[in-house]
Amino acid sequence: MSEFEPKIVAFCCNWCSYAGADGAGVARLQMPTNFRIIRTMCSARVDPEFILRSLAKGADGVIILGCHPADCHYIGGNYRARRRIALIRLVLEQYGFDPKRLRLEWVSASEGEKFQKTLTDFVNTIKELGPTPLQQEGE
Amino acid sequence: MSFFDRFRKKNDAGTAKKEVAKDVKKDAKTKTAPAVSGGSCYTKTAESISTAQLPAADLGELLPGAPPNGKINLAIYWAAACGGCDVSLLDINERILTVGDMANIVMWPIASDGKEHDIAAMEDGEITVSIISGAVRNTENEHMVKLLRKKSKIVVCYGACACFGGSPALANLVPGGKNEILDYVYKKIPSTANFQADYHKNSPVIPQTKYAAPEGELVLPTLYDTVRTLDQVIDVDYFVPGCPPLQESISYMLKAVADFAYGGVPLPPKGTTIGVVTRTLCEQCPRRKEYRRITKIVEPHEIDVDPELCLVDQGILCLGPATVGGCNARCTRAGQPCRGCYGPTTAVQEQGASALTAIASLFPVLDEDATMEEDKVIDIMSTIKDPLGYFYAFTMGKSLIKKSVTEKGGK
Repeated sequence: MSEFEPKIVAFCCNWCSYAGADGAGVARLQMPTNFRIIRTMCSARVDPEFILRSLAKGADGVIILGCHPADCHYIGGNYRARRRIALIRLVLEQYGFDPKRLRLEWVSASEGEKFQKTLTDFVNTIKELGPTPLQQEGE
Repeated sequence: MSFFDRFRKKNDAGTAKKEVAKDVKKDAKTKTAPAVSGGSCYTKTAESISTAQLPAADLGELLPGAPPNGKINLAIYWAAACGGCDVSLLDINERILTVGDMANIVMWPIASDGKEHDIAAMEDGEITVSIISGAVRNTENEHMVKLLRKKSKIVVCYGACACFGGSPALANLVPGGKNEILDYVYKKIPSTANFQADYHKNSPVIPQTKYAAPEGELVLPTLYDTVRTLDQVIDVDYFVPGCPPLQESISYMLKAVADFAYGGVPLPPKGTTIGVVTRTLCEQCPRRKEYRRITKIVEPHEIDVDPELCLVDQGILCLGPATVGGCNARCTRAGQPCRGCYGPTTAVQEQGASALTAIASLFPVLDEDATMEEDKVIDIMSTIKDPLGYFYAFTMGKSLIKKSVTEKGGK
């Protein structure tokens, strides 16, 4: 049997992390291809419903990338985002998910290398955790 | 001057005074906070009435005898429900007396006779309207709602449990499913635990779904692992949310049925949700909103609740920002937070996620926020106890992830 290849949804904020991902591409940094990027205008645009919908549709992990604290294009969007993510993580824990399946990281526009490192690390975490428990029950 | 004249005069003077006071107060308010809307909780302001937007649900006179084409058949059934919805049907006051003129009640387990075999003997479509409350969580529920669907022209999904799963659907969060629930209910809760210890010490008794009696096999309904909403099991024509639905919703529904039965007026389009508006509960709530930041969640009994200030501003977890309006903010007017029984607005699927977004945004940005560790943020948000149970108190059956999951671990 081939190795488990997780499906990961990555929400990137338009101003920092998406540019960071671009930077990683331009610099030709090698990284796993398990993630699908969805660009949002801000990390605070990521409604908890997006996260739940990703998981409900079979994503093995969800990662939200935003601007560093004090660096948000909209002044305080990332502070809101981290509070919501903290709360939705509590909800996921109550559902029975491993909270490590949801991660929030700060990647700025110049941090292509950090983008590569974060994603590689997250893919490895999810590989260790195995496929989403939701999918297993549906089968 | 007679006694009554005196009384009237006094009363007039009283209201005049009140009006002046109100105007002054209003002026003061507009000066200090121009964004303020709504008035006192205890007076019905023009604003709170205009935002209700409910179609006039006036049935007028009592229903006039039997319909021209003969009585219609009406069935009312409860699946996994508490019975509150059945009782709420009596909220149409004296009109309930004339419902019997309009319809034969062929089934209503809480109030009248009418058995499963009577329904099964009917022709398909012989029942004009079936009003079904409650979620579907065992074989009997499923059998009965499917039978009623087959025999009915119109099925109304009545109440929060039928529409969104309601409280019964929270059972989906028990990881062990029905076995864990049965085990807990029949062995662990004090009254049954004592009974089992006294009489069945060695082998605790859990009711079996089948029993071979000398006269033949007896069968009890089997519990399901997952509680489903009514429209996940059968095709449903109308939704009436609420726990229980309000008098306005019921009157509106009854008026539609009566107009159809007496005058042949076409019914609303299929899939209509009866008794809701398009905006959230906050639009109907007359409390003053100051958009304060909160740091601690409190219960209404722990503080002196300001009767005019928004409950969320006071740190009470109110689901008004995520719940569709239609109930005219009955609970918040009485100082109780909204629990979300009317369900989400049409723009979203997840009421819980919307509520969670709204509440989480109210926690203030701190000075140390730029350097704060993620653990600290989790500590801050942990002031909300049991977020899943609270935000999804009524809508677990319709949420995106409907059941608790168990991590199997990696390889």
